[in-house]
Amino acid sequence: MKITVNGQEREAHAGESILDLCRREGIPIPTFCYHQAFGGQGACRMCMVEIKEDGQSRSRLVAACTYPLTKTAEIITESEQIQRIRRTIVMLLARRAGENPLLEELSRAYGAAHLPAITVEPANCILCGLCIHACAEMGRSAIWSMFRGVDKRIATPYDEASDDCMGCAACARVCPTQAIKVEEEDAVRKIWNKTFALVSCSRCGKYYATREELEYLSKHGDFGQQQLCETCRKKNLAYNIKTFQQ
Amino acid sequence: MQIDAKEYENASAYKSLIESYAGKPEYLLAIMQDMQRQYNYLPRLAITMIAAHVGLPVSRVYAMASFYKAFSLTPKGRFVIRVCDGTACHIKNSETLLDQIEKQLQARPGETTADGLFSVETVNCLGACALAPVMVINGRVYGKVNRSDVERIIKEYGGQSDAN
Repeated sequence: MKITVNGQEREAHAGESILDLCRREGIPIPTFCYHQAFGGQGACRMCMVEIKEDGQSRSRLVAACTYPLTKTAEIITESEQIQRIRRTIVMLLARRAGENPLLEELSRAYGAAHLPAITVEPANCILCGLCIHACAEMGRSAIWSMFRGVDKRIATPYDEASDDCMGCAACARVCPTQAIKVEEEDAVRKIWNKTFALVSCSRCGKYYATREELEYLSKHGDFGQQQLCETCRKKNLAYNIKTFQQ
Repeated sequence: MQIDAKEYENASAYKSLIESYAGKPEYLLAIMQDMQRQYNYLPRLAITMIAAHVGLPVSRVYAMASFYKAFSLTPKGRFVIRVCDGTACHIKNSETLLDQIEKQLQARPGETTADGLFSVETVNCLGACALAPVMVINGRVYGKVNRSDVERIIKEYGGQSDAN
């Protein structure tokens, strides 16, 4: 399927999103709420592009992350109109996370007007929802978006330590604005008002995961068995490949 | 999670209410509404029990409970006073009603009196603008009320006259 992106012809698979095509072809489209592990959510609207499909007389704006390509089309990823939309989004989100390096940089890049900051909880959260997805994907769903309107925020039920939280910090890792606080000191990790004991890597001794996380993982595969941190796991794999004999 | 001891006493009552519905996610809202009607709020214990029954994480049930205004997460008083603060009532000085209620019951909108008798809420419009300012207590409508009416009505429900 032929898709023209910014005047250049590209080949797309039927049904893939505009964003997937552009990412593969190295065409930059900014996003906040997209993560390749979860696909598009269409929540932040940063990835808006103009599309004119076969048989349509004029182009319209769609979210690139959720729009599936089904027929020949012309796509424009940068235009005056798109620029204006992105500038507005950055301007509004910067109110929530003005001191965050990502938003600071984007505000400058898009020339977004500076509006007075508003206090949000957790600080710098732009409500993209990636943490909810990460937690759900881990099979835990300890956090969700609570309340609504201006009070909407990501939290655990009753803002208390949740039985479902295993302290894996996957939520913090996918957060684009580093809004989720993870405090680590020696063998203790604090996250979402809950305290966890950390387990150290059996090879290098680095504290790398919570006991709850390893127990959970060992029930769902053999990830937790060796008790190796990420670095040592990679080294281990590399060694195994190197010494592999048929 | 800390749960009030009183809620444990009610556990079997919650259980029979919850189990009168099939354990499917689509019954979540219906169960929660039933629970709210029955107890005037959603007890913490009930929220975890509902989550287990319909097979959803507690976070999602709590998210839904916190989203809808029809649900309360804290216990409500025996009498729920709803003061309309829609445009018409606002212009007709609904603030005065709230002032009077606060003076008498020491409770602001969203709060419940210490004796558990009254809860005070504001609503955006009751659709009875001709009767502005309007106040509703447990479904009974009081229209065109002023400060002294409020004082009298609250006394009828067992509230004190002006505390000071």
